[in-house]
Amino acid sequence: MKARIILATAIIPLGLIIAAVPENTTKPYKLTAEQLLEEVKSGTQFMQPDEIADMVIAKDPTLQLIDVRAADEFEKFNLPGAINIPLVDILNHEWEETINQDVKMNVFYSNGTNDANQAWMITRQLGYQNNYVLQGGVNYWAETIMNPQVPPSTSPNEEMAKYDLRKGAGMALGGAADASQPAVASAGGGAKPPIQKKDKKKKVQGGC
Amino acid sequence: MGPLVVYEIISENVNLFLAFVIGIGFGFVLESNGFSSSRRLAGMFYGYDTTVLKVFFTAALVGSVGLLFLGLFKWIDLSSIYINPTYLWSTLGGGVVMGAGFIMGGYCPGTSFCAASIGKLDALAFIGGMFIGILIFTEGYPLWEGFYNAKFMGSPVISEMIGTSRGFLTLLVILVALGMFWVGEWAEKKFARDDYKLNQK
Amino acid sequence: MNPYLGGALLGLVLVAAFWISGRGLGASGAAKSVVVTGVKTVAPAHVEKTAFYQDYLKSHTNPMKDWLVFQMLGVVVGGFLSGAIAGRLKFTVEKSPKITNKIRLIFAVLGGIFFGFGSQLGRGCTSGSALTGMAVLSLSGFLSMAAIFGTAFALAYFARKLWI
Repeated sequence: MKARIILATAIIPLGLIIAAVPENTTKPYKLTAEQLLEEVKSGTQFMQPDEIADMVIAKDPTLQLIDVRAADEFEKFNLPGAINIPLVDILNHEWEETINQDVKMNVFYSNGTNDANQAWMITRQLGYQNNYVLQGGVNYWAETIMNPQVPPSTSPNEEMAKYDLRKGAGMALGGAADASQPAVASAGGGAKPPIQKKDKKKKVQGGC
Repeated sequence: MGPLVVYEIISENVNLFLAFVIGIGFGFVLESNGFSSSRRLAGMFYGYDTTVLKVFFTAALVGSVGLLFLGLFKWIDLSSIYINPTYLWSTLGGGVVMGAGFIMGGYCPGTSFCAASIGKLDALAFIGGMFIGILIFTEGYPLWEGFYNAKFMGSPVISEMIGTSRGFLTLLVILVALGMFWVGEWAEKKFARDDYKLNQK
Repeated sequence: MNPYLGGALLGLVLVAAFWISGRGLGASGAAKSVVVTGVKTVAPAHVEKTAFYQDYLKSHTNPMKDWLVFQMLGVVVGGFLSGAIAGRLKFTVEKSPKITNKIRLIFAVLGGIFFGFGSQLGRGCTSGSALTGMAVLSLSGFLSMAAIFGTAFALAYFARKLWI
C-alpha cells in the first residue's frame, strides 16, 4: 500500500474526531464551572455604590469604571471616568488588555445588575481577575447617590450618617442635593478589594 | 500539566538541555529525510522531488492534530503556548525575501546547519551568507524599523478569525494537504530527471 | 526514510517541543544570537551605542544561553548522527552538473544573505515561522509559508540553471 494512503487512513479519522469534539474541551477555560459557581454563590464580585462613589470622589487612580451598555446609552449618561465596552464587544481583542490586567480595579456597570454581571462572568471564566460589578447598576446609583431619600427621623444614627454621606457624594458628583446641607467628607473606610496580581505563571518565549 | 516549563515542572536549565535533545531529534529527522541535500530541497520548486513538501506538511498536520489531542486530554494548556505574532507587511515581505534566498541558496536556516553537519560545503557558505544577512538587518535596523513594526495584528489564530473551531480547520488543512501530496507524487513522475535519482522508499 | 513517516516523526518532535517548552522549533533565532554575540565581542563600543543591540540584550542577557541555540546545537549533532549511520559524511559541494563549484558557492552565499535578512524581517524562518506557525494555525504561519514558497516557485524559472 502506498504511504500516502496509509497516512490518509490514519490522519483523516483523527481529523474527524478532533473536528467533532466541541471547542471548549480542546481549549480549556482557566476556571471550571464548579469554581465559577462557588464565586457566584459568594457574590464577592459586587461593589456597593457607596464604595464606588467614595473612590470616584477621591479620584482613586486604581478605579476603572466600565460601562457595558450600548454606545448610545453611554453617550446619554455615564458615570465619571467610565469607558464604554458594550457587552457584545467584551471578547474583542481590542479590550483584552483593559479587562485582563493586574493594575486597576475594573467595575462593570449596566442599567441594572444583570448585563454587568454577565460581563463579569465571562471575564472571570477566562481567568481574568480584578473585575467587579456595580451592585444595582445605574438605576440604583441614581436612586441612592444622586437623589438619596431622607430617612425618617426615627431612623438609627447609622442611617442618618449614610444619608449624609450619600448626599455629599451626590453633590460632589453634581447630583440634586440641597446646598444647605453640609457635605460630609467621605471617610476612607471603604472595603476596597485588593488588586490581585496575575498568577506567576511563566510566559513562554518564542520567535525564530 | 504541559507545557512543562510554563508550569515550572522543569527548571530553566533542564529546559535548555531538553532543547538540545529536541534539536537532536529535529536534526536527525531532517537529515534522514534528505533535507541536507540542496538539490532535493530545490527539487520541490521544479517538481522532480517533492519530498520537502510531503515532510513539511505532514509535520504540520501531525503537529496540529497532536497539539489538539494533547489539549483534549488536558496534557497541555493550549492557551499558554507561543503563537507567533502577525505583523502583516513584514511577515509577507520577509517571506518574499526568504523565498528568493531559498531558490538561490537551496537551503533554509535549519536545513543548512543540518547539511553542514554532514560536510556540505555549500551549506557552510549559506550559513556564512546568513550571518551577513542578519548583520545587515541588525546594523541597518533604523532603516526598516517602520516596515518591521507596521500593521501589527496581535497573534491571530486563523480558526478564530474565520469563526470556526480549531479542530474543523485542522480537518480542512488535512484534506488540502492530502490533495497537495497527490499532486506532488504526480509531479515527481511528470518532471522526473535522468540525472537525479529519487531515493525514497 | 519515507517522507510521510519522516514528516510524522518531525511532527512528533514539534509536539514534544510544545509540550516541554511551550514553543515550536526554530533556526534563524540561533543565528541571530551568534551574530549579536559576535558583534558584541568584536565591537563592544558599537553595541553600546546602537539601540537595536541594547533592546535585544535587554531581553537576552546572555544571547548564547538561549533555547534556540541549544536546539540548533542538537540539530548539528542529530544531523551528524543520521549522516554517520547512513554513511553520508563527506565534504562535497552539491550542485547541478551544469554549473561550477564557484557559481554554486556564490549563489549559496547570496541565498544565505537573503534568507538571513528575510528571516529577521519576517520574525522567523521556515521552521520557526512557517512550520511552527502552521501547527498552531496562526495567521503568520500560513502567511509566511505562502510568501516563502510562493516566491520561490515564482522565481524558480529564473534560477533553473542552478538546479536542473
